[in-house]
Amino acid sequence: MSAPGASIGAHPFSAGFLKAWVDQAGAIQDLFVRLADQSSAGLPPSMPPPHLAPWKDFIDGLGWGSFDPAQMFPGAPALGLSREYQETARRLVELGQQFQQRYAEFAQQNAAVMQDAFHVMKKHLDAAPLARKSPADLYDAWIDCAEGAYHQAAHSESFAHLLAELCNISSAIKVERGKLTEQLARHLDLPSRGEIDSLHRQVRALTTAMRTAASGSASSPVKPPKPTRTPRPTRTPRQAPNPRAAQSPRAAPTPRKRAKK
Amino acid sequence: MSTVPDSLAQLLQSAAAMQESGRSVLKTMLGMGEIEVGTSEKHCVYSEDKIRLYRYAPLARSAGLKPLLICYAMVNRPYLLDLQPDRSFIRELLHAGLDVYLLDWGYPDGADRFSGFDEYVDGYLRRCVEFVLKEHAIDSLTLLGVCQGGTMSLCYAALAPEQIAQLITMVTPVDFKTPENLLSKWAQHIDVGLLTQSGNVSGDFLNLIYLSLMPFRLTQQKYVNLLQMQGDRVALENFMRMEKWIFDSPDQPATAFREFIQWFFQENRLIRDELTLAGKPLRLKNVTAPVLNIFASKDHLVPPSASIPLGAHIGSKDYEALEIDAGHIGLYVGGKTRKTVPAAVKVWLQKRN
Repeated sequence: MSAPGASIGAHPFSAGFLKAWVDQAGAIQDLFVRLADQSSAGLPPSMPPPHLAPWKDFIDGLGWGSFDPAQMFPGAPALGLSREYQETARRLVELGQQFQQRYAEFAQQNAAVMQDAFHVMKKHLDAAPLARKSPADLYDAWIDCAEGAYHQAAHSESFAHLLAELCNISSAIKVERGKLTEQLARHLDLPSRGEIDSLHRQVRALTTAMRTAASGSASSPVKPPKPTRTPRPTRTPRQAPNPRAAQSPRAAPTPRKRAKK
Repeated sequence: MSTVPDSLAQLLQSAAAMQESGRSVLKTMLGMGEIEVGTSEKHCVYSEDKIRLYRYAPLARSAGLKPLLICYAMVNRPYLLDLQPDRSFIRELLHAGLDVYLLDWGYPDGADRFSGFDEYVDGYLRRCVEFVLKEHAIDSLTLLGVCQGGTMSLCYAALAPEQIAQLITMVTPVDFKTPENLLSKWAQHIDVGLLTQSGNVSGDFLNLIYLSLMPFRLTQQKYVNLLQMQGDRVALENFMRMEKWIFDSPDQPATAFREFIQWFFQENRLIRDELTLAGKPLRLKNVTAPVLNIFASKDHLVPPSASIPLGAHIGSKDYEALEIDAGHIGLYVGGKTRKTVPAAVKVWLQKRN
């Protein structure tokens, strides 16, 4: 029995195409893992996005030139069956480029901070000879110089703008990645973020309605039967009215520790 | 007079000693095991969604003061106030005979992303206040707000002044746009709508911002200083407790976070009397209870200039400001302040009982 793809292997491009397809499946799986890890949200994205990388390899193999959608088709309209995907992909590419540009400026600004810190440190050392300083003293002096130079830069308007731009671009990338995930979820018949959000909104609306109804029926001012002064050692926590309580027998769920990333 | 080669030899000798210290510190840390935090006895008396209201077991005879409800910030965990038996702001309050409640916001998740800032202040906080009032059959209590929790407490005191007998704000931002406020400067140009469009804001992201305020001290120097703790297991355990607290940061519910940044940091609505919460205009002039405003002179997160203006904007005629020579965190765990601040709180409350 021949290996899968052996029959279409007759075409010179088919093996590469098949490999790219298989690699993309792996990359998409990897994408899900990365999306689940929120800590990577602030990191510069790898370009092109990981799910496009296998196709880059395939196209490189064809010898048609480099795979850079933004350069290959600058300003080209998104057309055809996959136009929505093209739009998202192009937006991701643009955002990635913007991020890299801003990040380079940020790195440049940080380099300038370090340079300023070195100048100040040199002045300190010129004033007090090296022989009189222990390594710990030198290190502390360096930190003081570095923080001083950083403080000055960090309070500047340009620094605030740059930091905000980096943050805003990262946020936009996260939004676009979310769109891709939504599309994939729909294809795989998995619950999408949009569906879950819709359910959350419904639960919230129901909770609010129930609370309003409860406060309307108990309109008398809040007065307890009798006062207490000291806490009782063991006590079941009271649970607020909650429509979800009807579905769950637990009166007071134990506070759960968030899983560390 | 020492020559350059002498100096270099000394430097190398010191470097070798530091390396040895590092090895010893690491060995001690590896043998420490699990770090315990929040050691005072407490019981959950009310819960709702992610929030928990705790009541602490008394440690002394009652001072006969109104119960004190602590409203902590949402951006960090409240066990900072009860870090360990000998560094516990709460324990000192209990020793002073106070009946202490603590509102713990928990760890918000995706189910909380649409909860607005008003839901936290006029919803959860209100229901906790009303629970305590009902429990004690009283009309008003003492509300103590910490940092962002102080701002929330101020808002609540303005919305329901009749329920607040005394208000204590600790390192609480009131004027969010002062020149020293670096966090505020950075927040001005952030598109917080876009930031929260894809859900809650991760605690890691906030930690990254906090570390960026003083990156060299907070990501380098403090770890190098560990070398000085060689052989001091207690000091290393204290360090590890603080390290755990610093990075144990809950994610922030998207809507509430967006509103907090927009309304307070970017538009400074609180001090400009332009804030509307739960459909009601919120005016600081409505805060008529006695107010004790405690701020830290070396606070890099909430600079004193952000807290000091409070007195000029509230309606209370009984206002006292207390400046403490400490940082934002040192106020609660610092060598002297961890005793002096609770003592000052008790004296202030007793005078108004």
